[in-house]
Amino acid sequence: MTGKESGKEEKAYRPLKTQDLLQQVLFRYVLEGNAASEEGHLAWVTSGFPVEIPVAMGITATYPEQYGAVIGSQKVGPALCGFAEELGYSQELCSYARSSIGSTRKPEESPLNGLPKPQALLACNNICGTVLRWYDAISQMTGAPVFLLDTPPIEGEQQPHHLAYVHRGIARLVEFLSNTFGASLEEKRLREVAANSTKAIGLWTKSLEACKNRPSPLNCADRFMTMAPIVSMRGAEHIIEFYQALYGEVRERVSQGIGAIRNEKVRLLWDNIPPWFSIFKFFNGLAKRGVVFPADTYTHAWSGSIEGEDLFDSAATIYSNVYLNKGLQAKVDKMVELIKDYDLDGFIMFSVRSCKRYSLGQLVSKELVTRETGVPGVVIEGDMVDSRLFNEAQIQTRIDALLEMFE
Amino acid sequence: MIDSQGNVLGSHLVPTGASGAVAARRCLEELSRKSVVDATGVSTTSTGYGRSLIDFAEKSVTEITCHSIGVHNLNANIRLLIDVGGQDSKVIRIGENGRPTDFEINDKCSAGTGRFLEVMARVLEVSIDELGPLALQSDSPCSISSTCTVFAESEVVGRIGAGESSKDIAAGVHVAMASKISTLSKRVGVVTPVCVTGGVALNPAFRHYLSKHIGAELWVPDNPQLTGALGAALLSLEL
Amino acid sequence: MSDVGRSPVRADTRQRAEFQLSQRVVVGDPGQRLRELSASEETVIGYVYPHTPIELLLAHGITPSLVGTNPNVQGGFEASLQTFSCSLTRNLFSQRASGGLLSLSGLLFASNTCDSLHNVADVWRHRFPEDKIFILTYPAARFDEDSVRFFAEELRILSESLKNAYGRPLSNDSLLTAVSLVSDFRNAAQTLYSCRLLDPSLVSYCEVARMVRDFLVAPNTDTVRQIVESAGAASRILGERGQLTTAKSLQKGLLTGTLSDIEIVVESNSPRIMVVGGMTEPQAIGSLFNGSTKFGDDVIVLDLLSLGFKMVFTPPVKLEGDPFVAIARSILGAPSEPTQEGLPARLEFLKHLLSRLIIRGLVVCEQSFCDPDQFEAPSLVNAASEVGVPSVRLPIDPELSDRARLEGRIQSFLETLEGGPK
Repeated sequence: MTGKESGKEEKAYRPLKTQDLLQQVLFRYVLEGNAASEEGHLAWVTSGFPVEIPVAMGITATYPEQYGAVIGSQKVGPALCGFAEELGYSQELCSYARSSIGSTRKPEESPLNGLPKPQALLACNNICGTVLRWYDAISQMTGAPVFLLDTPPIEGEQQPHHLAYVHRGIARLVEFLSNTFGASLEEKRLREVAANSTKAIGLWTKSLEACKNRPSPLNCADRFMTMAPIVSMRGAEHIIEFYQALYGEVRERVSQGIGAIRNEKVRLLWDNIPPWFSIFKFFNGLAKRGVVFPADTYTHAWSGSIEGEDLFDSAATIYSNVYLNKGLQAKVDKMVELIKDYDLDGFIMFSVRSCKRYSLGQLVSKELVTRETGVPGVVIEGDMVDSRLFNEAQIQTRIDALLEMFE
Repeated sequence: MIDSQGNVLGSHLVPTGASGAVAARRCLEELSRKSVVDATGVSTTSTGYGRSLIDFAEKSVTEITCHSIGVHNLNANIRLLIDVGGQDSKVIRIGENGRPTDFEINDKCSAGTGRFLEVMARVLEVSIDELGPLALQSDSPCSISSTCTVFAESEVVGRIGAGESSKDIAAGVHVAMASKISTLSKRVGVVTPVCVTGGVALNPAFRHYLSKHIGAELWVPDNPQLTGALGAALLSLEL
Repeated sequence: MSDVGRSPVRADTRQRAEFQLSQRVVVGDPGQRLRELSASEETVIGYVYPHTPIELLLAHGITPSLVGTNPNVQGGFEASLQTFSCSLTRNLFSQRASGGLLSLSGLLFASNTCDSLHNVADVWRHRFPEDKIFILTYPAARFDEDSVRFFAEELRILSESLKNAYGRPLSNDSLLTAVSLVSDFRNAAQTLYSCRLLDPSLVSYCEVARMVRDFLVAPNTDTVRQIVESAGAASRILGERGQLTTAKSLQKGLLTGTLSDIEIVVESNSPRIMVVGGMTEPQAIGSLFNGSTKFGDDVIVLDLLSLGFKMVFTPPVKLEGDPFVAIARSILGAPSEPTQEGLPARLEFLKHLLSRLIIRGLVVCEQSFCDPDQFEAPSLVNAASEVGVPSVRLPIDPELSDRARLEGRIQSFLETLEGGPK
């Protein structure tokens, strides 16, 4: 429990104890990734990929998107994007992709000497269509083959032919992995991995939901950091321990009425990927003004579990129904739900220039969310990795205007 | 204007203003006066934006080709030409015969062009000629991260407000500029020796930082704003 | 339309000059065919994505009409779309926001092709709730039979929606007629593409682009007739020169993707340019080349654009069994797009074309803020350079009035081809 730090001025935010454990988990992730690459069983995977399948087949997964967050936080986004731009990639493209291409080209200039070389690239387009083109570009550079699991966007209920199509895709995935890695899939092992995934997600979800309390035990920056294992190591057993520890700390804070920030005055919803290069400065700057974010659409996106009779059908359903695959109205519904359930006073929509899938439509959804909830919001524009596209002065003005509405 | 041996008889620089055709005629009159050779009726090639409006030109060729030929005439060793003008910047690979073999242009965005420096000079309240020398006084340039002129302008205003020194800000502006041009150059591929032309080539701080970014020495001709015209004149000679 | 504009085969430069003039008029007036259509009593549905099931809509008694960009419209999207939305969709949205496109009875958008188009369709439905919007979802994976099956079901669902919206069920007779109509168009267009590879001066690129565009905006017997006539005239001329068989082989090769047994002979100095890209409009490119003074659009011997080659060289619908499966198979058999998997195959095809068809330069069109275009462009440039073909990139944005800059870029590129190593 953190009280006043002796001799120092109190910070507006309270750091998590579980942060240390997180470092260990991530360190292990890096080591395992490097080892797997050397042993020839590493795949790069998109964040929405049914990773339980390759993991059950003994393949190790590593996540370029999570590495994008690392690149962003280490503030080398512009430099690495620059290496991709020198190859001819436009600055208008997704900065996760650009920085990934840049760091694949120049690993020696990248954090941790770049991501380890993959033997396969597994892309699921449930988060966006860009991932296919991104991985195609990486494939040209590394020689690793690309597998696309196609989950076309859904509106409303998933149709039977859609489910059948994705189910077939998963079957083909198993074929592909079998041919590429000489691996095989056993149902028993898949159920084990899925169960691990489910347990971790369950604990994570409970930590998220604890933020309904006043004060909120977690701010969004905390969640953005602690979501890493769920994204990068879903299916692994050892992350269950991590999420137990996290949930333990969260419960402790709730029972003692301790919030993630010291002086909670305004509770807001955050929409979209955060500006990784400014994640603490930005959110702690707002914390000083008593602003906390008990909920956000990004960390709430990892929630489904594979279970039931037909595991392929289950996976096909879960992974087709993710937040980003369901259209504008579904996004609005989710945001409205979060605002109501978490008792929020307003919202900030971060318009990420790089991410058309997440951002296009925000100008409309902003109006719809306010109309349905009665709370005000603001749209600010920037990027998650390319800090050159982040205009602090402009952003501050808009946020100030929003906060003035609560005074 | 050149003679049949390719020697320069006279040159004149005039702002285009509202009418390229009118400015061109005025230029012709000046040339006739300066060089005591009647320039009207001399075989002419036009180049640059609005070149098709110059009705007395027999040929109209793009700046890419004209700069390439002009620079090759002045220094046949040059293999890469970086031209930074008021509203665009170009990188041109020059072949052994003086003709361009590859090029990249930034003509959509004012960052990376002379316009960027003009805007920043105004914010720093110095003239465009003073901006370069001011920047050279700094040994720790500020980081100006925005790639958009409008964003960068507000970033500079922010830095001034934060009490950073003009020289460090000026240096940061040049670093941003050099970085943009450097990316453009690497798309074509940096091959030495490298030449810089255009009005911005006269700026010593720009030359300093660009040279650092692309890792090569820069050669600048005596009249870097006239290489395009020289190339056009040489093309007329070929006619 | 002037007589010169109609006559597809030009014999002399005076005709050509007049034709160029008429081209400028036509290009600046994209709505003419559409206005003719809406003056008629037909139900017209506008579509955006090139690989649209034209035959299916016609079979429902509906006229599908390609909606293009309008450079005269700027702004109108600002309250609904951010500036990083693809420039094509922004322009379409602006047209609607400024009161355009109202003569259409509905709009068909594509989903799972690119993120901009999908998201803009959603925004559109909210901003213009009175518009009838249809969404057709495409498979991005080339799972062959699995993709066909998925897409066939999507087409069936679309067919139901059309029936419910307009009270017109699918008629088998109309389907047969439609399949035949589209097939005739494609055949004629393919012939013209193939003939031009042997002699680009037979029919100007702009003229072919215009006729293709005319059909896509108004698929009827008139627009088919004009292109069939043009193809016939071009074939006759080549026949007289004994080159018709080569042209036919070329056509077949382009349709199947293999040109290995084709030899063509060209004049040593002609700058043979190929244009590649996504949804950049062929007539816009053609007119840019025309504007580059001395060269004109004859230098374009082939395009690999979605609204050109890829639409034209789509395999025909073979009506056996389930019509939806047949239509799905036809559409999915079209040359691959960057919105689908299969980059290595696309690059191989490009290199194959560049080498076999003696292409001297490649123009890579990149629509502003277009993910598929901008991701693909560096790979296209590299592939071309692997077979010794230089390239230039054209950043295209229908909202910017930067014709002069684009023409300058094209002219510079052609000048480098003149002076560079052969």
